[in-house]
Amino acid sequence: MLSIPLLKQSMKSNAVMWGSMTGVMTLLCVQFSMLDMTRSLLFTIFYGMMTTILPGIYVLVTSNKLLASQVDRGSMAYVLSTPVKRSSVTFTQSFFLVNSLVLMFAIQTGAHLLVNHSKPVSMATLGYTMLSGDLTSKMILQVNLSALMVCIALAGVCFMFSGVFSSSKYTIGLSGAFVGVSILANMLAMFGNLGVNGLDKFKYLTVCSFYDYRSVLFANNDWIEKMIYPAVIAVVAFGLGQIVFKKKDLPL
Amino acid sequence: MNNIINVNELTHDYGHGRGVFEVSFNVGDGETLGFLGPNGAGKSTTMRHLMGFSKPQSGKVEINGLNCTKEHNKIMQSVGYLPGEVSLPEGLNGYQFIKMMQDMKKSKNDDRVRYLLDKFELDPSGSVKRMSIGEKRKLAVVTAFMNDPDILLLDEPTSGLDPIMQETFIDFIKEEKQRGKSILLSSHIFSEVEALCDRIAIIKDGRLISSVDAAQIKHGLHNIMTVEFDDPKDFADFGRSELDFKLRDRSTLKCAVVVDDEDINKFISVIRKFKIKAFSEHSVTLEEYFMHFYKNDRSFGGVSYA
Repeated sequence: MLSIPLLKQSMKSNAVMWGSMTGVMTLLCVQFSMLDMTRSLLFTIFYGMMTTILPGIYVLVTSNKLLASQVDRGSMAYVLSTPVKRSSVTFTQSFFLVNSLVLMFAIQTGAHLLVNHSKPVSMATLGYTMLSGDLTSKMILQVNLSALMVCIALAGVCFMFSGVFSSSKYTIGLSGAFVGVSILANMLAMFGNLGVNGLDKFKYLTVCSFYDYRSVLFANNDWIEKMIYPAVIAVVAFGLGQIVFKKKDLPL
Repeated sequence: MNNIINVNELTHDYGHGRGVFEVSFNVGDGETLGFLGPNGAGKSTTMRHLMGFSKPQSGKVEINGLNCTKEHNKIMQSVGYLPGEVSLPEGLNGYQFIKMMQDMKKSKNDDRVRYLLDKFELDPSGSVKRMSIGEKRKLAVVTAFMNDPDILLLDEPTSGLDPIMQETFIDFIKEEKQRGKSILLSSHIFSEVEALCDRIAIIKDGRLISSVDAAQIKHGLHNIMTVEFDDPKDFADFGRSELDFKLRDRSTLKCAVVVDDEDINKFISVIRKFKIKAFSEHSVTLEEYFMHFYKNDRSFGGVSYA
């Protein structure tokens, strides 16, 4: 099912975008968790926004490049002039998209674990004065897992658009609107959480609400249940993208 | 003869009169079929169906007896495809592209690649983005032929190549033909079709309007004789003879007559009785035969061919 040569090509052509997003995310994470000035904002700013914004931009651009743009430009004709099934193409591309995200989070999480190990931060510093103790490695892993799941759901929806439409402008337009609204609503909802009245309603507008780092910090299991929804969204969206791409007429 | 490519009543309506309608033809084992037609006639659309990119709304498209949509991946093991537009994948240089296509086709034959690179004088070391259209086309040619496929689908293969390379390409396809390949070649270039094809199918507005034996056309279908007289009396007498006149112009005293090869002697026996000022003759070439399909009128040279 997996086409290794196609996977290699996807890795090559998306390496720059992936590298820069991973780099920026890791650097920001290290900075927020290391410098005294910014440590208190680690969760509000970094885990609150950056872990959805940066992967969001990455999946928006990359999912378009994996299918729709290649159909739009016509280079998909070369891929499909070889003995490879369309389903194998979509499987390979979604495999790449999901695993590149996993790797992105793995690198960032690894960096955070290292920093946190050498320079632990207390929950009070992070703004959670009611909680005692330090931020643990387990919490870091869980927070990132929760964020990763939501990003995979974002990727799934973008990939679906990329599989459904044969033109970059529709894929980018709709994926952009989806990712943009998700991220913006998430930020507004966050202000709601911080005490701005009424803005908390925005949490109903975004898939990012299923990413719940507060539940991890408070050590209840809400975040685990909340991972089910983005997982379902991802499975359905990736599935739809694959099915439509397999069945549709390609203007090559 | 075994049919390798089989298109049966293929219909795909894209609306606004575009698409293909009830197109049927086949390509036998070792045969080369020329596919001619004006821009937008449906040549590439038909190719697209053969490649499995589009699904027929009705009708059947088969290669080697396999359904082109459902068993696309099996068919592609023995098909070399040259797309009409070259747009290569991003972020690769020429060698990387060749390597990727080798891996995807699961066929590694470096001698053949080297042979093709030499033949078409291509240096694939540069970035694909910076290549000229011709170089990209050559790269596509190399990747289409490098696994030595038995069936070739060529969509306007020489567009973008310089005249010398076009010649090289035609020679190369001749070789492939001798090696027994079955070829479907869509083209605008008459010399190419004339040199390569056993049969020619002509498509217009999505419908196949004619399918002819290339040999028949190559030997000249008709000759057009233009005769000019000094004396109006000669002109008038000549005009009364039993010939197939295409033109009789009283002001210039010029006549044009359509003569089939077998009627040449009859024509000469008539014409020798007159005093002639000027005489010229030309045969209908494939080009002219084809040109009249570009135009709307169906009659050409006084004769309807369709």
